[in-house]
Amino acid sequence: MRRFGLRRLDQYLVVFIVAVSLNFMLPRLMPGNPLALLAGVDVGLMTPDERAEVIRQVGLDAPLVSQFFDYWRAVLTGDLGFSYRSGRPIGEMIGERLPWTLLITGASLVISAFFGIIIGAFSAWRRGKKSDLTLLTGMIGLQSLPSFWLGMLLISVFAVQLGWLPSFGAVTPASDLTGLAHVRDIAEHAVLPIATLTVLSIPGVYLTMRYSMLEVLGDDFIRTARAKGASESRILFGHVARNAIAPVVTFLAIRFAFAFGGSVIIETVFSYPGLGRLVFEAVSRRDYPVMQAAFLVFTVAVLLANLLADLLYPILDPRMREQ
Amino acid sequence: MLRRWNLPILLVSLALIAGACGDSDPEASTTTAAGGTTAPTVAGATDAPTTTAPPSADPVTVRAAITGGEDTLNPYTYISGFPGWNLLMMQYDSLMQLDSAGIPQPWLAESVTSNADLTEFTLTIVQGATWHDGQPLTVNDVKFTFDYFIDNATGRFSRDLRGVESVTVSGNDVVVGLAAPNPAFDLVALADIPILPQHVWEGIATPGDQTFDISTNVGSGPYMLTDYQEDQSYRLKANPDYFRGAPAVDELVVIVFADDAGALAAIRSGEVDVIFERVSPEQIDLLDAQDPLDISQGPEFTTQMINFDVSKRPFDDLAVRKAIDLAVDRQDIVDTVFLGAATIGSPGWVHPDKPVYNPAVAGVHDTAAAIAMLEGAGYLDSDGDGIREFDGQPMSFEMLTNSSDSLRLRISELISEMLAEVGIEVTVASVETATWEQAVWPDFDIANGRNYEMAAWGWSAPVQANTIRIAELVHSDGGIGFLNLTGFGHPDVDTISAALLTEADSATSTSLIMDLQVLIAEQVPFVLLAYPDGAYVYNSEVYADWEFIAGQGIVSKVSLLPPGARP
Repeated sequence: MRRFGLRRLDQYLVVFIVAVSLNFMLPRLMPGNPLALLAGVDVGLMTPDERAEVIRQVGLDAPLVSQFFDYWRAVLTGDLGFSYRSGRPIGEMIGERLPWTLLITGASLVISAFFGIIIGAFSAWRRGKKSDLTLLTGMIGLQSLPSFWLGMLLISVFAVQLGWLPSFGAVTPASDLTGLAHVRDIAEHAVLPIATLTVLSIPGVYLTMRYSMLEVLGDDFIRTARAKGASESRILFGHVARNAIAPVVTFLAIRFAFAFGGSVIIETVFSYPGLGRLVFEAVSRRDYPVMQAAFLVFTVAVLLANLLADLLYPILDPRMREQ
Repeated sequence: MLRRWNLPILLVSLALIAGACGDSDPEASTTTAAGGTTAPTVAGATDAPTTTAPPSADPVTVRAAITGGEDTLNPYTYISGFPGWNLLMMQYDSLMQLDSAGIPQPWLAESVTSNADLTEFTLTIVQGATWHDGQPLTVNDVKFTFDYFIDNATGRFSRDLRGVESVTVSGNDVVVGLAAPNPAFDLVALADIPILPQHVWEGIATPGDQTFDISTNVGSGPYMLTDYQEDQSYRLKANPDYFRGAPAVDELVVIVFADDAGALAAIRSGEVDVIFERVSPEQIDLLDAQDPLDISQGPEFTTQMINFDVSKRPFDDLAVRKAIDLAVDRQDIVDTVFLGAATIGSPGWVHPDKPVYNPAVAGVHDTAAAIAMLEGAGYLDSDGDGIREFDGQPMSFEMLTNSSDSLRLRISELISEMLAEVGIEVTVASVETATWEQAVWPDFDIANGRNYEMAAWGWSAPVQANTIRIAELVHSDGGIGFLNLTGFGHPDVDTISAALLTEADSATSTSLIMDLQVLIAEQVPFVLLAYPDGAYVYNSEVYADWEFIAGQGIVSKVSLLPPGARP
């Protein structure tokens, strides 16, 4: 057990080193550079000397190797640096964006997990029947919806046609709302992004739950449970669902990691000020430090989520404990 | 099972996240260049509204949508040439201000005079203008601004002031001495540069290293920035003490959208009142049909063109460039892509609404003539595959375009079809904006060469607005022709375009521009396809008094001032 734990820790370390190094390389491998961002839109009007000075000021003229070591030093000391675009500390920028992202991705994760697991369990229980096939077809259909299209459809119906909900942003700009009215404003703005994300996430949970259930349903101990006269609901929830939940937890853990990345597309469609949009802006303008910092956050989130899944697995499934 | 899958899942997850990030397209905002506008009694804006919202005691708030943030909106932080510069100038004033015809009129400088050879400009600064913090605006602020931009490089304003040799103060006058005559100085510099308060900026030694918050946004303009939420919104309050009189709109809230679809949905749902970006042609009728939305539309000076690398075979051959020019049906592009909302491109570069336009240079669409020209120059299809050959290779080229501009993509597809008819194969490659820019204009310095064969390209309004800037596009010396992205060079073009830059006499200047248009149309350094119209959508119940500045659109402080305070 201990030997195994160490090996797994090694594995995480290797992945961390490789991923964090890639985070440095990725922005630099992309065509283009942050010159326009640093020098402003009229960079074409600058003299070559002025341009060189701009590059020198941020240290991009240094050899790549020394930039790489500086980068690692910053990563290890927890220094996320400053944005080329705004000059602001990136930690502060991420701190502003992350709550918005977690609000919509977190809420949709919880809601989609709830419905996905229940519907998935129901569907598997009714396997091969009409209700199962209808659900299965419907879910596969949902899963293939393009997310931007669904987002725009919801905006079109609920914001433009019906006028019930705001179509963009996290709060009403310049509204001076406080207290409960402010909370209500935030909630109203979050409804459509959360709904979009939820609808798109349910099929994944559903399919994982359903297949996992079907696997368990074929196992001997279910037949035993039936034979000893356990009620159907006890078999479903006490035996099958409990045993089928482990892969779903892994799936949700990975989803949770993705939640930190936000959804570039959903946050763009709804002009939502989350982390996904920060990354979108950073990538399109080649704001290297922000790209690196955001990728680092994703890397750490994915690793932690996996670690969490690894730790939860033996708790959920006693058979995993003694391997 | 979980264990075995762990590593691949991790790596795949990370790759997916990185991949999702790579899909993005920025707004094409960097294809611009410095400013000002020349001349023109331009045929005015078309259906700019004539009605004013009924006067009422209620404060008027206008919520405007933009696409993409503009940072803290000071002269060193704003991002795009349009609408970033336009929003910047809501807070600041220039010495001169464009009127609705696009002609600079006295503004902070109540009079502007120059000597006969246009090397010295005397500016009399208006009395009674104040900064947002209540301090008076003086000649010293003006001199400080000139010195500051010369000492602390910005792409735009420092460029405007290159050639300034001396700035002296005498009483209420600022006298600017130039190294060489600059007939466009009023347009490129005086109507472009925001005047800064000395008492705020003298403490900022190196603006390039500075992290700005909005506390430095002290201007003299009609609006004061009171709140800024990154990538969300700007809140601009009217300056009641504005030297031209209080603005007609009491509060301007600028909302940052991530894409234009979001802005369109928001104006249709009534959540914003105007969009400070051009709406695409197919949206114009749709939006205009919805009450209370209206459209303000007029000709603008942005351009859509084809660039080719003239230094490479076979584009170094005039016959090939001319054949491409002949094969292109400009009318079809205006009709199909712009649904008529554009002016047909002149092969001589100059917009037909400009007084210096030479009507003798009209684009000709003649596929047969294009084929004859290619045949005559020896470009034959020897293997019968429908594609001609040059130097033993097929005339098969890649045309780069930026994926964020769907109109440009459609233009490229049409061009591909048009050139196929004359035996030239064009494959359209739609890439992300930064990639496209890096290929066409590596590091924004033409000394770095070119990494493309053909590209769909365009310049922002200021390049066209000031006609003498034509030299920047076609002169073979990179010091003068620093926007010459096609690597074009021709001795006669060099001579005339360089002469134009310093010609003080306007009749001679006009005649030089006329000649140059003929020469450019003959030599085809690029193919100018169209000048798209500007079309802006606004809610006429909230505010209807938008002023369309010819060639520049409605996004300016002029639109928000009461009629009596406009230039």
